[in-house]
Amino acid sequence: MKEIVTIQVGGFANFIGSHFWNFQDELLGLAADPCGDPVFKNHSLNMDVLYRSGETQQGTLTYSPRLVSVDFQGSLGSMSSRGSFYNEATSAPPDVVTWTGNVSTHVAEPQRRNLFLQRLNEEEQENLTPVNSISGGSNDPQREIHDEDIVDFLDNGVKYWTDFSKVHYHPQSFYELGGLWMDSQQFDSYGVGRDAFSWDLRGEEISERLRFFVEECDHIQGFQFIVDDSGGFSSVAADFLENIADEYRNTPLLLYAVRDPGSYAIHKSQKQAISKNLHDAISFSRLSSLCKLIVPVGLPSLSRSKASAFLCIEDQKPYHCSAVYAAALHSISLPFRMEALGPSADSHNVSGAFDVNSVVQMLSGQGRKNMVAIMDVAMPAPFMTGRQAEKSLLGNLQPLTPEIAEDVEDLQAVESMTIHGALGTGGHQAPISEVKDMVHAAYENAITRPKFCNLSVALCPLPIPLPFPKIFRSVVGQHGELLGTPVNGSPLRGSLDVHSIPMAGRLRSSSAVLPFLENRLGNLRKFGTQQGAAGAELVRRWGFGKDELEDMGETLSTVVRELDPRSQASSDSD
Amino acid sequence: MSLRVLNPNAEVLNKSAALHMNINAAKGLQDVLKTNLGPKGTIKMLVGGAGDIKLTKDGNTLLKEMQIQSPTAIMIARTAVAQDDISGDGTTSTVLFIGELMKQSERYIDEGMHPRVLVDGFEIAKRATLQFLEKFKNSVVMGDEPDKEILKMVARTTLRTKLYEALADQLTDIVVNAVLCIRKPEEAIDLFMVEIMHMRHKFDVDTRLVEGLVLDHGSRHPDMKRRAENCYILTSNVSLEYDKSEINAGFFYSNAEQREAMVAAERRQVDERVQKIIDLKNKVCAGNDYNFVVINQKGIDPPSLDLLARAGIIALRRAKRRNMERLVLACGGEAVNSVDDLTPDCLGWAGLVYEHILGEEKYTFVENVKNPLSCTILIKGPNDHTIAQIKDAVRDGLRAVKNTIEDEAVVLGAGAFEVAASQYLVNKIKKTVQGRAQLGVQAFADALLVVPKTLAENSGLDTQDVIIALTGEHEHGNIVGLNQHTGEPIDPKMEGIFDNYSVKRQIINSGPVIASQLLLVDEVIRAGRNMRKPN
Repeated sequence: MKEIVTIQVGGFANFIGSHFWNFQDELLGLAADPCGDPVFKNHSLNMDVLYRSGETQQGTLTYSPRLVSVDFQGSLGSMSSRGSFYNEATSAPPDVVTWTGNVSTHVAEPQRRNLFLQRLNEEEQENLTPVNSISGGSNDPQREIHDEDIVDFLDNGVKYWTDFSKVHYHPQSFYELGGLWMDSQQFDSYGVGRDAFSWDLRGEEISERLRFFVEECDHIQGFQFIVDDSGGFSSVAADFLENIADEYRNTPLLLYAVRDPGSYAIHKSQKQAISKNLHDAISFSRLSSLCKLIVPVGLPSLSRSKASAFLCIEDQKPYHCSAVYAAALHSISLPFRMEALGPSADSHNVSGAFDVNSVVQMLSGQGRKNMVAIMDVAMPAPFMTGRQAEKSLLGNLQPLTPEIAEDVEDLQAVESMTIHGALGTGGHQAPISEVKDMVHAAYENAITRPKFCNLSVALCPLPIPLPFPKIFRSVVGQHGELLGTPVNGSPLRGSLDVHSIPMAGRLRSSSAVLPFLENRLGNLRKFGTQQGAAGAELVRRWGFGKDELEDMGETLSTVVRELDPRSQASSDSD
Repeated sequence: MSLRVLNPNAEVLNKSAALHMNINAAKGLQDVLKTNLGPKGTIKMLVGGAGDIKLTKDGNTLLKEMQIQSPTAIMIARTAVAQDDISGDGTTSTVLFIGELMKQSERYIDEGMHPRVLVDGFEIAKRATLQFLEKFKNSVVMGDEPDKEILKMVARTTLRTKLYEALADQLTDIVVNAVLCIRKPEEAIDLFMVEIMHMRHKFDVDTRLVEGLVLDHGSRHPDMKRRAENCYILTSNVSLEYDKSEINAGFFYSNAEQREAMVAAERRQVDERVQKIIDLKNKVCAGNDYNFVVINQKGIDPPSLDLLARAGIIALRRAKRRNMERLVLACGGEAVNSVDDLTPDCLGWAGLVYEHILGEEKYTFVENVKNPLSCTILIKGPNDHTIAQIKDAVRDGLRAVKNTIEDEAVVLGAGAFEVAASQYLVNKIKKTVQGRAQLGVQAFADALLVVPKTLAENSGLDTQDVIIALTGEHEHGNIVGLNQHTGEPIDPKMEGIFDNYSVKRQIINSGPVIASQLLLVDEVIRAGRNMRKPN
């Protein structure tokens, strides 16, 4: 077993993380459920890769995510910054033992727990009492109504990512940035966040949190780093990454740079647009220079993208979008925790285990150097039978990475695909071998083929936890099967109707990412480095010298040249 | 004005409104912080929306917890926090002083005076006050053996404003001894060489100074000793884990045997490194019952731990980067980055190494070291907010001691300096100033009195009486401060109340600069978010 430590930095990254950990929590719950589906009981996924075992001072055993999360002060809503596990048993306001003089108490308006969190709390209280009430009794009519209310409430009432989290976190996990004296709207560019990490002892404290989790690992396989790079958190993350690269030089890191659709809002003035473009360019240059593989995730409009063919997303709700991205992240992360039986032997439940290092090396270092990967997802994955399926699988895999080209023929492309919980004939679980054959056949028949594709398959589908948005269209069945005729009733289906879905996720290194790179390079030159560039003054205020920007541009253009088929053709002819 | 033409929707406040906005913001911030000041101040308990508790009597901590919106207040807060960064104390005083300068100016401006004139007066007064401070300060000769008593008095003065007396007095000894421990002749004091470690355990009075180091992790092998005496300490930054990516980035192997062979070869390299450490141990521990402890900054994986445990070595992995430096200072030896040329000279020494376990938290104590140049202040407390508050106080105390040693001077506290400086400005300087700038000097002199006034107010005394009594004594040439219990004038020297010279100087330097900037604001333009959409 090789451990992964997850890092989430910034608002939307934590939204995605919250869904991600909800999925993991659901997997844990289903595995422990005595009358659960066997596919969840023997999933051959090692949860210890992501989770740590611990013990409170009172001797209670705990199991919590190996996670460091950084966000604004006050972004935790009604959750305590010390998580929920290791709480000191104090309900009455404690005495001040360090001061004998006057005490003035300032109590902030308590954050009310929403319906869902109240229920969660009640359930826990019940579990604590010795009377063994059977939970999960979905036959109870009263409870059913309750669930409906919760789902509806969450669909409209989520403000903080903690509002829909059902996971117990470790007290070391949350780090709030205090003393910034600005709100999230003002914390909107690389320049604004420039000193936020290094100021005072912050950087050191955050690094200490990470060290706490790393020290426990017997053999860490890598970091999974999610950053909301739409604003100042990008530079917080960049400084943090620099620190990590310094301290854990040989530990591979997989970086997801995520954006919520809200961050693509049309900019009111030209000045803001310039600032935004420069931010995007600089943020990408800095982040990509500090890791071996970066995966930009987050479309300007998820709802209108092809990725949501079977989904109905409301772009303005981070609760909605983050669910899709989290599902994709979950799929990508499965091979990292499959129990490998050896290089050739595969179990019945999983196939194609590999570690973070392998995926990073495979995508970034095969043939040509390209540190940017595209993330595709099929949510839910189509049936795995028949000739039709072969086409639909590759057709259904749609990008979540913005600004990329479609239908690019790239003979050098490298892909890593994970399919889990796929359904075969008659809506039954498709065996691993069948899925593998199917995928190979699909690639055989495809018009454009990558140079290399690595495939991982697991039987276990994505479980849909109760706190999950109602985003499935009515053609999605209870097990995520795509129905010929829509189900009657509500046009949208959520966690009460759909219990699990098959998923396919893919990372690919392809020249399709060129437009994404070219846009950033173009903006960097146009607004930053060109003679009399409109944003030259701005970047100077952000603390970048002209040389620094030119170096960034140079690095970017090297990557572009590497990928650009035209430039390759010309160099070949030399 | 031109901006208004360009952007008709920008919100523009005219001069007088802008000025009053600034003055009100400064006064607002002053009101929040003023109850903090002094040994009779009020401690604040902040309860967050989710029930998180923060306890603070420190202006710096309080400011960071506040959600400040007003740009003026943010500017003041930044100055005050910077004050803390530079000199470690005086945040509250800075905010009070700026607030009071603004308040005094308001009176004159309302009477029609131009802010420019006041600002000129501030500048004169500031220079004069700084000169006065040079004369007023008490020089302390540090030399090789600093006067411990004076250090204790400074530390006690600051700690008693943060913690109750008995605890403050206990910590006074701790911080003074800590700074003296890490002090090296002819070198600047690096306070990072004092580790501050905390345990949620027992009571605040169990806080102590460990001459040596406390690490917040333990060995990760069940067979390693939990307690060992007479230990050689190896401080290293060497990877002792099998790390595929380090040597070989390859992903494909043509067959399973090849892969196995690669893995075995790489494993062997790690084992060789471990063996070199074991060889050294066998060399130095042969024929005696000494122990051997490895503290490594990089990882140590289970097979390596096994080998080390079998050789009777205690090994800790992933030590803090800073602890590498601290360990060497505490135990001697040197930090090694490679195991290739290990010699006994690399090793440090500790009389006792033992582990303490609290739930899942492990602590390793490295104690009984010879001539330590690094040490640990171990803070204990029943809950997190108590620990956090003691930690803040300890940091301030350490800074106060460091400042004293570096300043080679102290300043009489309890408001004595402020009253004296104020008197000096009014009696000596004001007369030499031409014209209306005199009023700026007067405002500055009045503003200085905010410190004794607030001290009096926080003690429940009548501020007028106190100021009259204090100035009266100063008129007679007696340098006195305020007795917080009785309101009577006292001699701070007799009572041992001393402040840092550098803190005072910094306050006098930065306060008027910010106040002047705020007074000279002509217009406040709120643009940006109210801007018109482009058509």
